[in-house]
Amino acid sequence: MPVAAGLYTFTTGVSAFFEMPTSDARRILPEHLEPVEVTHQRSILAVTAFHFTESIAGPYIELMFSVIVPPVPGRWRQRQHPKAGFYPFLAATSSDESRCHRSEGFSIPHIAEDIDAQFVESAGTLHVSVWSRSGPVVDLTVTQHKWESTTHLLHTFMVDGNRRLKSNLQISGRYTVHENERGHMTLHHHPMTTALTLAEISPYPFREHWLKDGVEIFHPLETL
Amino acid sequence: MSDTEHPDTIVKQPAIETRSRLGDVGIDRPAMQYDYTNFYFGTGEDPFALLDPFDAWWSEAEPEGYYQYESPLQSAPSTRVDVLDKKTGEVRAGLINFASYNYLGLSYREEVKEAIKVAVDVYGGGASGSPILSGTTALHQELSEEVARFKLKEGALIFPTGYSANVGTIAGLMRSGDLIVADQWAHASIVDGMILSKATSRFFRHNNVEDLERKLSGFDGKKLVIVEGVYSMDGDLPPLRDIVAVSKKHGARVMIDEAHSAFVFGDNGRGVVEALDLEEDVDIHLGTFSKSLGGQGGYTAGSLKLINYLRGFSRSRCFSCALAPTVAAGVLAALKLAQAEPQLRTRLWDNVRFMKAKLDGAGVPTGVSASQVIPIMVRDDAQIFQIGEEIFRAGVFINPIKYPAVPKHKSRFRMSISAAHTHEDLERGAAIIAGVLKDFGVCP
Repeated sequence: MPVAAGLYTFTTGVSAFFEMPTSDARRILPEHLEPVEVTHQRSILAVTAFHFTESIAGPYIELMFSVIVPPVPGRWRQRQHPKAGFYPFLAATSSDESRCHRSEGFSIPHIAEDIDAQFVESAGTLHVSVWSRSGPVVDLTVTQHKWESTTHLLHTFMVDGNRRLKSNLQISGRYTVHENERGHMTLHHHPMTTALTLAEISPYPFREHWLKDGVEIFHPLETL
Repeated sequence: MSDTEHPDTIVKQPAIETRSRLGDVGIDRPAMQYDYTNFYFGTGEDPFALLDPFDAWWSEAEPEGYYQYESPLQSAPSTRVDVLDKKTGEVRAGLINFASYNYLGLSYREEVKEAIKVAVDVYGGGASGSPILSGTTALHQELSEEVARFKLKEGALIFPTGYSANVGTIAGLMRSGDLIVADQWAHASIVDGMILSKATSRFFRHNNVEDLERKLSGFDGKKLVIVEGVYSMDGDLPPLRDIVAVSKKHGARVMIDEAHSAFVFGDNGRGVVEALDLEEDVDIHLGTFSKSLGGQGGYTAGSLKLINYLRGFSRSRCFSCALAPTVAAGVLAALKLAQAEPQLRTRLWDNVRFMKAKLDGAGVPTGVSASQVIPIMVRDDAQIFQIGEEIFRAGVFINPIKYPAVPKHKSRFRMSISAAHTHEDLERGAAIIAGVLKDFGVCP
């Protein structure tokens, strides 16, 4: 049975939030989106990496950089209130097929070259290294807190020319999150990081999410 | 158990039904897994767009636990208080009070109440004017002079609140193109002052002097470093000597907000700066009257040049009504008592040591506090309100603090110790708290 277009089964996923300059965030975001500021003049860079084992494009690895933005207010009583909003401004994957699928199907900008990655888990710590032929992109370490099963509803915003788009994103799986600032990230100079003022991005994630054995569901794009 | 010691409680989950749920965005999450931050931003054209979803959430969240905020006191904020239980509508009488700031127990002292009564007869209710116009009375003048004398500074400026003291001082002094670097846990009034000033704002990692130095490096222009004497959520102190040294090295002025440390730290109560012999090294000294003095208002103390400049440029003071003369009279009386009765500080620190020993002995986790502000670390965001309800019903009034006021999984109760507490109060309070925490598995 073929896998539906918006379904992605993963073994391991990580999403870490870092403070970034609001000036960078505003430069990256389209006009209709505002960055969420964690403190004055400090917005939020989300670095996510997933090891997908099943998707319409086959198994692949994905690295995505997003700016956190406000979600569209939801209907609470229908349990449709999103936890957060993302504007994925640049992604990279480990295969042509996945790159075409994600960039054409969901209007997420991608760099043209393949990436590869290592997900190394040991003693409550996950270390993720991502690289491409241009060199290393990111080394990211997150730590665990308490594991639970969860489903999150998020809003993902994209643009296609003048079209303002949104996709509801459901992520289900085993999940741990904390704000103990125990993780670390090194962002390298790389074609993926040129939009970022690297010296101004905190190397410490103020929130660390780690997911296992779950599913991402990207719902069909809606025009805002 | 520390955050890193959580056992890996992974349980193999049943297969997740994915394909059948495509198109269904229903998420069944309890209201308590959401908080105010989920309703802070909202895309759309209508400013009221968030009111309906917030209202729907609130109607579930309040009865589940959020009702524990703004519970009306029916008595003075002394060591025992009567508090309305908003869930049941009953008044719970004689609760041991660890929620009020009244560190020296001055707000209800007869001398304070008497001074307020006299002021009522002379001045009536409010000041009826801005301090720069008609709102300054002889009492305000005497209070500012007394604060300056007490702080050993040339001058002091009185503000209607501690919040306005920070906002008015920071935005009154710093400008667009300047740099302000503050500790990441700086109070909201410091952050708001930074925003209003339009200066470039940076935050250094809490109490991390190396990060402060990084944030100060490479900037040419006016620089101000802001820290607090005691941080209000953890009760810890800044490494002030090192912070001052790094700031001076980079040509930055230093400002300290001693909201929770003035009148209690130092041999004479002049704050952390006195305790560390740094009174002359810190350039701007802020404090509040609402904590140790049990009143209301704030002050900025420093050189006469600074005070005279801020008198004209502190918009939060210029464009607010002056402190009510009755409040000024009460604060003035409390300030005189705080100076005349050093035994209050002795008793406070004895109480702090006593309570910490009781809590430690019971295995209650109290974090890194080095002051009269003692966090009771629960960490479990989902259970904090339930635990709070049990503690409240068992006879203790203490506020739960959870995200976003503190980071996720750092939920706690914030305990304020007062010189007025008796050892019996403290012993009984510690036993109640420890008993409830034990029932919930927070302590052994």
